[in-house]
Amino acid sequence: MAIVKPKVDAVIVGLGWTGAIMAKELTDAGLTVVALERGPDRDTQPDFAYPRVVDELEGSIHRKFLQSLAKETITARHGIKDTAVPYRQMGSFKPGTGVGGAGTHWSGCHFRALREDFNLRSNLRQRYGAKFIPENMSIADFPLSYEDLEPHFDHFEHVCGTSGKAGVLNGVKIPGGNPFEGSRSREFPLPPNRDYLGAELFYKAARERGYNPYPIPASNASAPYVNPYGCQMGPCNFCGFCSDYGCLNYSKASPNVSILPVLRLRKAFELRAHAQVLKVNLDGASSRATGVTYLDAEGKETEQPADLVLLCAFSLFNVHLMLLSGIGKPYDPVAGSGSVGRNYSYQNLNRVTLFFDEKVQANGFIGIGGGGATFDDLNGNQLDNAKAGFIGGGVIWARQPGSGPIRGITTAPGVPNWGSAWKQGVKDAFRHSFYYEVQGACMSYRSNYLDLDPTYRDAFGRPLLRMTFDWDANEIRASQFLVGKALDLCKVLNPRALSGDAKKSGEHYNITRYQSTHTCGGAIMGADPKTSALNRYLQSWDVPNVFAPGANAFPQNNGYNPTGMVGALTYWAAKAIREQYLKSPGALVHA
Amino acid sequence: MSDDEAPSPSRRKLFKSLSLVPIAAVAIAGCARETDKPAGADRHAGDYHPAFFNAAEWAFIVAACERLIPPDDVGPSASQAGVPEFIDRHMQTPYASGDIWYMQGPFIEAAPQFGYQGRLPVRDILRVGIKGIDAHCAKQFAKTFAQLGTGDQESVLKSAEAGKLPLENISAKEFFSQLLNETRMGYFCDPKHGGNKHMAAWKMIGYPGMRADYANWVGVRDRPYPLAPVDLAGKRG
Amino acid sequence: MIPIGCLVVLVLGAWIYASLPTHTRSMAISPQQPNAAAIERGRYLAVAADCTACHTEPGGRPFAGGLAIDSPLGAIYSTNITPDPATGIGKFTQDDFDRAVRHGIDDEGVTLYPAMPYPSYARMSDEDIAALYAYFMHAVDPAPGTDHVNGIRWPLSIRWPLALWRKVFAPSPDAAPFDASKYKDAVVARGAYLVQGPGHCGACHTPRAITLQEKSLDDSADSFLAGGQRIGGWVAVNLRGNIGDGLGNWSKEDIVATLHTARNSQQAVVGAPMSEVVVHSTQHLSDADLQAVAAYLKTLPPTAGDSPKFAANPATAAALLEGHEANRGAELYDDNCAACHRSDGGGSPNALPKIAGNPSVLAEDPESLIRLVLAGSALPGTAAAPSPLAMPGFAWRMSNDEVAQLLTFIRGSWGNQAASVSAGQVGRVRASLDAK
Repeated sequence: MAIVKPKVDAVIVGLGWTGAIMAKELTDAGLTVVALERGPDRDTQPDFAYPRVVDELEGSIHRKFLQSLAKETITARHGIKDTAVPYRQMGSFKPGTGVGGAGTHWSGCHFRALREDFNLRSNLRQRYGAKFIPENMSIADFPLSYEDLEPHFDHFEHVCGTSGKAGVLNGVKIPGGNPFEGSRSREFPLPPNRDYLGAELFYKAARERGYNPYPIPASNASAPYVNPYGCQMGPCNFCGFCSDYGCLNYSKASPNVSILPVLRLRKAFELRAHAQVLKVNLDGASSRATGVTYLDAEGKETEQPADLVLLCAFSLFNVHLMLLSGIGKPYDPVAGSGSVGRNYSYQNLNRVTLFFDEKVQANGFIGIGGGGATFDDLNGNQLDNAKAGFIGGGVIWARQPGSGPIRGITTAPGVPNWGSAWKQGVKDAFRHSFYYEVQGACMSYRSNYLDLDPTYRDAFGRPLLRMTFDWDANEIRASQFLVGKALDLCKVLNPRALSGDAKKSGEHYNITRYQSTHTCGGAIMGADPKTSALNRYLQSWDVPNVFAPGANAFPQNNGYNPTGMVGALTYWAAKAIREQYLKSPGALVHA
Repeated sequence: MSDDEAPSPSRRKLFKSLSLVPIAAVAIAGCARETDKPAGADRHAGDYHPAFFNAAEWAFIVAACERLIPPDDVGPSASQAGVPEFIDRHMQTPYASGDIWYMQGPFIEAAPQFGYQGRLPVRDILRVGIKGIDAHCAKQFAKTFAQLGTGDQESVLKSAEAGKLPLENISAKEFFSQLLNETRMGYFCDPKHGGNKHMAAWKMIGYPGMRADYANWVGVRDRPYPLAPVDLAGKRG
Repeated sequence: MIPIGCLVVLVLGAWIYASLPTHTRSMAISPQQPNAAAIERGRYLAVAADCTACHTEPGGRPFAGGLAIDSPLGAIYSTNITPDPATGIGKFTQDDFDRAVRHGIDDEGVTLYPAMPYPSYARMSDEDIAALYAYFMHAVDPAPGTDHVNGIRWPLSIRWPLALWRKVFAPSPDAAPFDASKYKDAVVARGAYLVQGPGHCGACHTPRAITLQEKSLDDSADSFLAGGQRIGGWVAVNLRGNIGDGLGNWSKEDIVATLHTARNSQQAVVGAPMSEVVVHSTQHLSDADLQAVAAYLKTLPPTAGDSPKFAANPATAAALLEGHEANRGAELYDDNCAACHRSDGGGSPNALPKIAGNPSVLAEDPESLIRLVLAGSALPGTAAAPSPLAMPGFAWRMSNDEVAQLLTFIRGSWGNQAASVSAGQVGRVRASLDAK
């Protein structure tokens, strides 16, 4: 018999960014909220205490702050006829666990989507005609506009103390920022961070090539900051341990630093750590959620009844929970029917590394996750897709989140993997090289999707989520085009050696190589319940007291990091719950 | 005085530790001294007593690491940096027994883009691989890997790296890649974990270690970062 | 040698003096029918007086007592001050209540242990005592408390000498009434009243004599609020105008922010005792009252005589910025502290405390500083500043000698001028932490 807990107004599954935002907004609205987090409770002290937290072996090899794949993972395959095998070792993407989720170990890049990213399909159709979009490409417009989200982008940036420079402020272009961005209602809360050498040189090279470089919006504070909730941040000290690590001095925005201090003082909020949610419980007609069932810290099956269920797990696991719980109809790629699992997309990340002689103090160990410089001249409407030969643009950037020798030292072309020449190679490269990256959009396709694996199970006996994904020729062309531009840019700086990793024609997705944790889609938002799992308020079309904020809602991925968009969408959904749903619980959009 | 005639003090300590393992294993280790100009890896094994590896495995690890990161003017060798000690200790951690890997079957063949799909955790990949390589060396050279000269050792490792060595129960490529990873980790880890003795590998590349504080140096272009590395224990390198 | 007969006479005399009942006048205000205003005033005063600090057990019913208060003589358990008739103050008349709060005498005539700060409460007005009584009798839920046997052993548990102590050291409210006219304006006077009376700041912040009474109970002596007592291993800061170990360089806003949020733009509360005061008491005071407290504290001149000083000096920052480390202490600073407190010792405004000129760093007695470095300390989340900013402990990373070198460096850099710290001092604090 399961333990049954007293009913609450809202139960939140997963306490990362989306869970913390929802908990804040809903307790503000007077609701009682229980958050169930599968991992441990975590905070700056003691979990990210200086200097213990920066042990590379613990953080980047033992993956101390990431999800243990032994408990939950996915299976993967390239095509719908292949047999999927488990994602056994962490590689391509790194879901977090514990309070703060991936929001503790992110880098801090904090973008807004471009205006044209919101209406991708109709924009392409208008620019190039209906036939331009290949038949197998299932991209769609977001069911809301940049203007709808602007106040929420703005608010989330102010919660995070994002450091940057506006390029368009209230419709007026201003120098120093991104001239192609959607208009902002306010300047960034903090000015841009200082530049390390690679970023400084990036400005020079980009300007020489005629691009419009600007500082990457970074939720790594450039100065001390107090956010609208009264939460405090210290300035980033360029420690070089963002990705994989929690921040040691309160300078990287995270749920733990930016929101949880308020929640922890609230009586209406309860956090239960080590609470592994197994499924959402539905009523007999499967039209209403009655709560969730989870394993408590001691492994006892426990039921938490609630009026509202907020799926705030990592994007992949939101989809997993919907499939396991029977929320919405699973997507069938052959029939083209069903909505849950549809439009899985990713990110097209590629790197070029520049090697210099020993007089150049690149100091790659100096790092800031979200700092650096980028440009949008090859992104959005700035790129002529017809001429470039692919759909979706991307950014080229200088970013130096910080490197250490355990995390790997990229050596110049021709250096062997071991022996004396390798030693000389790492010595030459470590302090005298830096890299630029190409972060490309990733379109969605009929054959890239998520469903339940028929064979493999997680530690709790549930079928694993199965990912069917491979690179389409479109993304490979994008990679080659953008890496080509990046290599051309690098030549301005005259490095002694240069390496680049554009995808080769016919190259398959390699799940062993890290290429961002930007797994998107699977439970997308849309205007049509036949082709989307969620409506424009991230509310399930099928079970209206379930909301599922996260990157799972993206119909496809743009050239940016998703966190800014995820946070803004969550505030947008929370507003709809507060102002519309609570007054009249039920579907907010009638299809 | 050649190494063949009189064991160095550190080697005597190694012998002492070996007295605890079966005679046969000692005999193998003994052969390593007498039959060939040895790669000499055990010269620098220090007084660490392996707790995970048996004598034969230990002889392999010490020898192989020394080929992967050999002694030279650039920086310390693997054994000078304590890499074998690191690996022996690391194999005793939950990580090496697969605690963060998905370890459930079925275990089926898949394209290399899906990563290692076998049932062995790291520590068994190393053990099974070492046995396989030594078996290969016995067949081809009538010696263990550790008994080979440096040139032969290098060519065996190169074949393993290229996946050209057919081993029993393990892909040579997978084994080699784990061995190389472990060796590099032991070379560059915080000394707390047993490797990177005296922070010598950090000093070689100019890594400041556990400092994690560079606000004063982001904009400095005209001179190298000046402070010596510091380790987790708070020692200066 | 005192002849034994004399000793007997002396003790007997003292006993007789101690045993003479203390007469207290009846309160000028008769108990009133409870009205909302009086109850609210009483509630606010109970917060200002931080009654809950001692009279509520963690997780226990409010004001039901039972909290163990460590004293040098053994544990004393706080009493139940809810209106429960059996175990609380339900049967107390207003005069009984007054005798306990301002005179230190319980309803059976027994003198209270001065863990109850009646020497400070003695300054409270009749009106405030009446309001407190109204609040406790009418707005606090009666809750049964458990009777604890105090942990103080015979003969120290004999109570009559306490009466002697009380008669000698605790002022009678009528003998030392609070005199607002002493102060230059009403704001300062209000601050003085709160600090000396309900706030009982001196209970921790004024040094005590060998006989354990506070050396002064008001600003008539410069020992008042001069700091130096160790409370739970943390040194109470000098609240007077000393530049260095006192609040001489603090603005009124710094003081207000500290009481409101446990931190100000430059510095932070160190250690649990004051953190708890802020959480339970001072963060809830009105801005006007906090301004009054700040205005009053700023009138206190520095103590006479030599004390640690601060005069800003850029040399340390300039050297560290260039990577020059004069000694092992400087190295240890770079390796352990600079990541947050920066090479200029300035921390980061509104986030990470500065070290240069920080009174907690410069205190004559380095006990707090040693404890902070060894064990760390966390700020409490407050309503206005919820971030539980914290410093980790470094006991695992530095030897006693290294901590001493580090702290000697810190106390002598950026213009800090405080005495060096020895490895022996560090060792004693480490031993007390290990014993826990």
